[in-house]
Amino acid sequence: MLSFNRRVLATGAAAAAVALSLAACGVGSPAAEEPQASGAAEGEITGEISFQTWNLKASFEDYFNGVIDDFEAEHPGTTVKWIDQPAEGYADKLSADAAGGTLPDVVNIDRGTGSPLAEAGMLLNLDEADPEAGPDFLASAWDGNDWTDVGGHYAYPWYLNTGPSLFNTALFEKAGLDPKAIPTNYDELYDAALQMAEKSNGKFAMLGVLPGTEMMEKYGIEVMNADQTEYTFNGPEAVALVEKYKEMYEAGAILPEALTDDYVGEGENFNSGRLAFMDGSAYAIQNLKDNAPSVYKSLVYTKQITNTGPVGYSQSVAVSAGSENKATAIAFAKFVTNAENQVEFAKQVNIFPSTEGSLDDEYFHTSDGSDDAEVRVMSAEQLPDALISRTPGSEALKTETRDQIAQAVLGKKPVQEALDAAVAFGNEQLQG
Amino acid sequence: MATPTTTSAASRPVREPSSRRNPDRAAPARRAARHAWFTPWLFLAIAVVTEALFTVFPFFNTVVLGFTDASRLGGGQFIGLENFSRMLEDERFWTALFNSVLYMVVVVPCMVVLPLFLAMLVNTKLPGAGFFRTSYYVPVVSSTVAVGIMWSWMLDSQGLVNQTLQALGVVTAPVPFLTDRWLLLASAMLVTVWTGLGWYMVVYLAALANVGKDLYDAAAMDGAGWWRRFTSVTVPGVRNTMVLVAALSSVAAFRVFTEIYVLSGNSAGPGGADMTMVMLIQRVGTGLDADVGYASALSIVVFLITIGLMIATLKMQTKGDEK
Amino acid sequence: MTAVVPVEVSPARRRLVRRRRTLNAWRYAGLVLMTIVCLGPLLWQLSTSLKGHGVDLYSSPPQLWPQNASLDAYARVGEIVPIWQYAVNSLVVAAAVVATNVIGATCAGYALAKMDFRGKRLAFILFIVAILVPGEVVLIAKYMLTLSMGINNTLLGVILPSAVGALNVLLMRNAMSAIPNELEEAGIIDGANAWQRFRRLAVPSVRGTIAVVAIFAFVGAWDSFLWPLIVLSDQAKYTLTVGLNFLQGTFQGDPRVIAAGTMIAILPLVVFFFVLQRYFFRGIGEGAIKG
Repeated sequence: MLSFNRRVLATGAAAAAVALSLAACGVGSPAAEEPQASGAAEGEITGEISFQTWNLKASFEDYFNGVIDDFEAEHPGTTVKWIDQPAEGYADKLSADAAGGTLPDVVNIDRGTGSPLAEAGMLLNLDEADPEAGPDFLASAWDGNDWTDVGGHYAYPWYLNTGPSLFNTALFEKAGLDPKAIPTNYDELYDAALQMAEKSNGKFAMLGVLPGTEMMEKYGIEVMNADQTEYTFNGPEAVALVEKYKEMYEAGAILPEALTDDYVGEGENFNSGRLAFMDGSAYAIQNLKDNAPSVYKSLVYTKQITNTGPVGYSQSVAVSAGSENKATAIAFAKFVTNAENQVEFAKQVNIFPSTEGSLDDEYFHTSDGSDDAEVRVMSAEQLPDALISRTPGSEALKTETRDQIAQAVLGKKPVQEALDAAVAFGNEQLQG
Repeated sequence: MATPTTTSAASRPVREPSSRRNPDRAAPARRAARHAWFTPWLFLAIAVVTEALFTVFPFFNTVVLGFTDASRLGGGQFIGLENFSRMLEDERFWTALFNSVLYMVVVVPCMVVLPLFLAMLVNTKLPGAGFFRTSYYVPVVSSTVAVGIMWSWMLDSQGLVNQTLQALGVVTAPVPFLTDRWLLLASAMLVTVWTGLGWYMVVYLAALANVGKDLYDAAAMDGAGWWRRFTSVTVPGVRNTMVLVAALSSVAAFRVFTEIYVLSGNSAGPGGADMTMVMLIQRVGTGLDADVGYASALSIVVFLITIGLMIATLKMQTKGDEK
Repeated sequence: MTAVVPVEVSPARRRLVRRRRTLNAWRYAGLVLMTIVCLGPLLWQLSTSLKGHGVDLYSSPPQLWPQNASLDAYARVGEIVPIWQYAVNSLVVAAAVVATNVIGATCAGYALAKMDFRGKRLAFILFIVAILVPGEVVLIAKYMLTLSMGINNTLLGVILPSAVGALNVLLMRNAMSAIPNELEEAGIIDGANAWQRFRRLAVPSVRGTIAVVAIFAFVGAWDSFLWPLIVLSDQAKYTLTVGLNFLQGTFQGDPRVIAAGTMIAILPLVVFFFVLQRYFFRGIGEGAIKG
């Protein structure tokens, strides 16, 4: 049997990086007592349920065991069986489980994995099962989990994230650019990229990935129509953007790896000092410090470059529609995503809570000068302006989009034709 | 060895060459009574049940699905040959077919010839031969995934190979082993051959052991040189094995997946230009929004092509036997 | 022949000796070159895994010998996943798969090569078909089957589908076919029944192929990733490949830890193989029947 390995690396990082999300402004009291799943689902909160996360055990085992212990103590008679899946093959695992009727009671999903499950009727519709849940969460996070294409909320928002943009100033100097004049928007970035290409002799470049739907959102392109029934990233703006990338690729402002890489490869290239810019995270900075100390020395990080204000992504927690113990499952899903547990989780890793008011915590506004803290404060400041992405963006569509744009960039296809093909592919999936 | 479960107690092996336990076999060489009709099936039981249950039965399901529009999470309507006509218009399909065939055409001759030379090289009593043989087999016992990660680490633009080439001044800019469509395909072929060398070397070693030493001695006595001995003794001696290797490696090469997938950073090369048939099946048929019907139809096509290859090569074998 | 050449050796013989020596020198050169080709990538990965924290992994020219060598990356692998538990699971699976493959394939190979019976062609075609079925497409159908058999989330569910590889059956059939029919006939004349002929005449002749099948089965079982991932949901039951995947984690992995992980997956096999290689290769030689 074949193993589909490297995707793992990709989806793995996707899990987290895509977990990239932001929360908006929250005014509010300290963590409101979470309401018991009162009218939500009939039945008592007791018995055993299973809870599945996506590649979190390795680093956060103690945290999750603590959450489970607290829940079991609060609701005597309950048992939570925690399952953590490795990064690779998560979608395959979910689909095998869904097809076999063995989906765990409470399951960690994101927009990409969630909507096909919801569409197939595998997830509990929260608008029916727990209509009161909305106000507990940041409005932007709750809206981000409103999947209009499948008709409503199918998951509780969980952690959000955002990161800074990273620059390798050593490469700016090598190319004769002013390392103090760091680009602050896409136009400046692309100008600098073209200037850098003149001096880099193909050894390094500013950009390491092709634009995808996520990047297009940040660029200010309408990726989907308002009711999320159709993809729309083949308009004149998108065509102009890809034409720009084509020009930059031909000039050598984009690494050749960009045609096949996702951001895992992008990160590797940044670490090896061939890439001058990437969207990053606090984790990426730590990684750089450990694995590429020479690049770390010339690192500068700034607020995320966007035309629109930051765009974020939400990890979510859903309840299986086939759960035999829905009351307990809902109670646990709410428990994991309540303010107290989310803030606690955010303090362990650089992600952000999606619950109303939680971002007011001092922790997100004070820095001791370390990279971690600096990035945290910077990101938390970005959050109020953030938009939570609702674009389904399945893995298949991401791949298809990258391949089509790569063909356009290589000049094998007109840009319009390539984008039309990617959009048609996405729309066919939506009708699926 | 553990006692197989497929035999009755009555036919347990006995050390002494006695026929006491088989009175019915007392009359030797009775033409028809070599074994009862069910005996072969007892021997075949484990293998047949495993294959029938876990491979062939699921595959029949797949064949049925190939004529439907099934998705991963939903049932399927019968849509006749629509999946197959869709293939004809799918540019990914034609790219994949081209790459798979090209892969086979390049890799198979290497797999048939190189491991044979390697086997001959190592088929010696010289001190250290054991060590060398073993080291050639190491790539085979290494996990495929680990091998893929290893090679992409080496062939990367900052990898060992490029760093060495640049340090030696052979090239000034890194060689795009993993980002150029053709170089990527060539790199993947290299990895395939690298892992396959040891595999088929062992198969050839087993065959070479069957080639009588007296034949070589006789040929040497006749004053035949190295090449003559190779063509007149070795090649005829391992001819059947060569056909077997050709059959196995062509099927494997046609179905190449892991090497390209891992080396290209889980893509199908720039713009999908290095797509192969199995990659296309994997891409279409996995994930939550899998198009199971289309993926199944593609598998049917792959299946038909590979079975054609297998039959063609095995035909070569039987034809040779008749000579 | 040693360094000192005896005086009374004839010139012709000396020339022969010299020729043999240059030939051997060439042979050694070839052997060493191939060893570098085959082991080099592994050693580079080993070196990467040993490089100390903070050492630049991307320097040019490359740093072959690990600077500040430390086993830190290996320790971190152990911290992240219960590696020994996973290794034991993998071992259980691999051992079972080796046993079933050796027994199942040898028996089946014998029947296909040495027996005449109705349905033989059909059985043969079954194995050919099985070789050609692309595994990734039957995945879900196979999973549904294990569900209905009630063996999902057990190591048995991992083992059974690969209990007998069709390729191994064909290899065995080929090896068995090489045994001269006279041997069979002689066995029949001696009054040996099918099982006795199989055990005493056929099996000893194909020991080499049995070793080959055993190794193939072991490697295949040790290597498999997607199937165990799908079948198992209980972490305590994970096999090594699945477990190691946690290393390529949510956040970008440290190349050192990933290298250490791949080494942990590979090294036991390599060591195991180096230890057993003499039997493996000797088996191949001695198991063959001349002819």
